Amino acid sequence: MSKISYPLNKILTAIARRHLLKDALTDEEMAGHELDDAERAALKAGDIARLYELGANPYLIRRVFRRRFTI
Amino acid sequence: MAEIVAAALTSHAPLITGRPDVSKPEQRDRLYAGFHELRRRLAATRPDLLVMFVNDHLQNFAYDNLPAFCVGLAASYDAPSEGGAKLMRMAPRKIGGHPAWAMALLEGGLAAGIDFAYSYEIESWDELSVPLHFLMPEGDVPIVTVYTNCAAPPLPTPRRCREMGAFVGGFVRSRPPRERIALVGTGGLSHWVGTPETGRINPDFDRRVLDHVVRGEVEPLARLTRDEIEREGGNGGQEIRNWIALLAAVPGWRGEVLAYEPVAEWITGCATVWVHP
Repeated sequence: MSKISYPLNKILTAIARRHLLKDALTDEEMAGHELDDAERAALKAGDIARLYELGANPYLIRRVFRRRFTI
Repeated sequence: MAEIVAAALTSHAPLITGRPDVSKPEQRDRLYAGFHELRRRLAATRPDLLVMFVNDHLQNFAYDNLPAFCVGLAASYDAPSEGGAKLMRMAPRKIGGHPAWAMALLEGGLAAGIDFAYSYEIESWDELSVPLHFLMPEGDVPIVTVYTNCAAPPLPTPRRCREMGAFVGGFVRSRPPRERIALVGTGGLSHWVGTPETGRINPDFDRRVLDHVVRGEVEPLARLTRDEIEREGGNGGQEIRNWIALLAAVPGWRGEVLAYEPVAEWITGCATVWVHP
């Protein structure tokens, strides 16, 4: 069973449901979310591999950070 | 007894309609031809309802509330919504639902021990929008949806999906004889989406699945574990649960593969299959 981060998935779901594409998230966009330091850093960097390691759902990673994928 | 007049299985992927330009023309044309032939055969059966085994992609059911199985009671479905339409490059449209029929399915399931959740509002992503773009461009036949969680583990087991599908098949046959019901399952085949292996496709896995479908064998598919599917078919391969449910609804029926193309540019092993007695 893969790791699941509820805070990561919660913020990514909110963005995905608005059909927004991001390269990275800003501090302002993350304000009010209960993310830990590693999660904030990965979102701020748009680090899709790290987000997967930290427990973000891959469908949400793909939806939000689509432009980060080479394919 | 109502008649199951048709059954079809297809892949779904937003790039099938969203980026036809990036695929190899010969692969795209063969797959589109498969969709068109499915449409022709489906229309010829004159269904008055499509029951669709599909899965969400966290558009509707996210980590605050994740049903294993959910019956759509929506009066209409965004298939796609304006937002989704941009990515899938199709016009936004509404497809009519059939809330009364869906409620009967829901109540029947709960009475039989299939603990469906239900939803009055569903925004379709590619699970409905892309297959229906090809299969029902007129959008003139109402749909009832049965959503299975294939995208946010832990997932219902393939075995449980077989049981759910068998219930749906039995329920359809218990309906009044005047009803003409078609079944459609969408999803798969192998694809890795959003993971470090994004873009991988495993044609060997896909052919094994299709071989079972052609022989009408649901049991070997129902015996697969989540880990086996993940390893061989990727996280997107988990969507074969929708295929398993459909096959279980029509025991003894066999698949005829109209098209199979591992389309690297669409990051999906894509198939269209007609399922018949």
